[in-house]
Amino acid sequence: MEKLTYTEAKKELEAIVAAIESGELDVDALTEKVKRASELIAFCKEKLTKTDEELQKLLDDID
Amino acid sequence: MIYMQKSSLSLSELNRSVRETIRENFPDTYWVRAETSDVRRNQNGHCYLEFIEKDPVTQVILARARGMIWANTFQMLSTYFEGETGQPFTSGLKVLVRVSVEFHEIYGFSLNVVDIDPAFTVGEMAKNRLLVLKRLEEEGVLTLNKELTLPELCNRIAVISSPTAAGYEDFCDQLAKNPYGLVFYTKLFPAIMQGEKSEASIIAALEKIYAYRHLFDAVAIIRGGGATSELNCFDSYLLATHCAQFPLPIVSGIGHERDVTVLDIVSHTRAKTPTAVAEFFVGHVAKSLAELIDLKKRLVAVSREFLQREKFSLSVLSKEIYHFSTAFMRDQLALIGQTAFRLRHFVNRMVQSLQQQEQQRNLRFRHALEQRLQNEKQTLLVSEQYIRMVSPENILKRGYTITIKAGKIITSAEKLQIDDLIETLFWNGKIVSQVKNLKE
Repeated sequence: MEKLTYTEAKKELEAIVAAIESGELDVDALTEKVKRASELIAFCKEKLTKTDEELQKLLDDID
Repeated sequence: MIYMQKSSLSLSELNRSVRETIRENFPDTYWVRAETSDVRRNQNGHCYLEFIEKDPVTQVILARARGMIWANTFQMLSTYFEGETGQPFTSGLKVLVRVSVEFHEIYGFSLNVVDIDPAFTVGEMAKNRLLVLKRLEEEGVLTLNKELTLPELCNRIAVISSPTAAGYEDFCDQLAKNPYGLVFYTKLFPAIMQGEKSEASIIAALEKIYAYRHLFDAVAIIRGGGATSELNCFDSYLLATHCAQFPLPIVSGIGHERDVTVLDIVSHTRAKTPTAVAEFFVGHVAKSLAELIDLKKRLVAVSREFLQREKFSLSVLSKEIYHFSTAFMRDQLALIGQTAFRLRHFVNRMVQSLQQQEQQRNLRFRHALEQRLQNEKQTLLVSEQYIRMVSPENILKRGYTITIKAGKIITSAEKLQIDDLIETLFWNGKIVSQVKNLKE
């Protein structure tokens, strides 16, 4: 996943779901979009629930 | 006054003496200007509070006294007060109250409120606070922090608190034990949260956070419990203007339900307690998590539906293809059958016609041949007659002879000389003669 903020990822995800729901995609585009959406969901979920050790260390290092 | 032998008093004697003195010197009731603080009611409906007086410039507390209002009086006064001022009788109000001065041997010094002048409060009511707010508004900064957008993933929180405060612990606990398994990062920026030094201390903490602002989503300023009179600093202009203009959203949780400070007003969000601040953050992020889960559900549902639709249309299509191809095959087979039939028919006719032609030709040929044979036979017959007519035998019979000399047929008289012996052949025998004469 490229450098994406949580907000950007979620926005993109919302757009994809809306696009799929609009029913204007063909099956190839759908496969592509679903794949991307799954990646985005995993990315967001990780941001929400998994501790970023690097960030934790940065914060710990502030004195 | 009565003194004991050793010139000493028991505490109760002293206190009784103080009480007597006060009663003697303050026999009446008095109108007193003061600020209310830490106003609270017990279950009997009595109201307890503190009266304070601050230096108008430095805000340093100059005087403090405990106060109380009996339940009956309070019920009457508070209704009257609220009706006149438009706001409840609470902490942080400048009031003009009529008090009796009390001293109790056990409970000490206290002012017993018997009357209140709401008109004074209307004038003075949170004058300082209003002035501060007005100034912030005039400077165009009052709502700046409120206008910031709290990021959806708001989980990196800079905390301004006293490191030893129970409220800080509550805050961290509340975040850590959130039921959604959400991750939160907190970093404590310690500050003095009460007394005269707090304003500068909190501003210093804010400045430090500012240096690391890219690492945080929001700031929590928290403080649990304590007397309201010690919340003065949170009404300060300097702190308020710093908070209002801070680039990260500030969530305050500094006081009790009954105290709304200028800081609370300028901050992005106001919560009542540190625990409530934590709940606010958890709720905010959990909302995003819920949306994420919802998006996932929608994604699964819509793609399943999509695929089913595609599958269905594919099966319809394949049925159509089967149908069409079968029909096509049938047509083609019929066409081929017809063609084959026509071809066979054609070939048959062709063969028949060729056979007929052949027969006719044969017939003509045989006819011609027979004609020819007839002709030949005729010719042969004529030839035979002719040949028979011209045969030597017939010629000889008609009187011609053949002359032979030395076995050779002589056709010219010049080949003969006198005395030559010649044979003359007749049709029925030969003679030998001798030449006697040669005539020219």
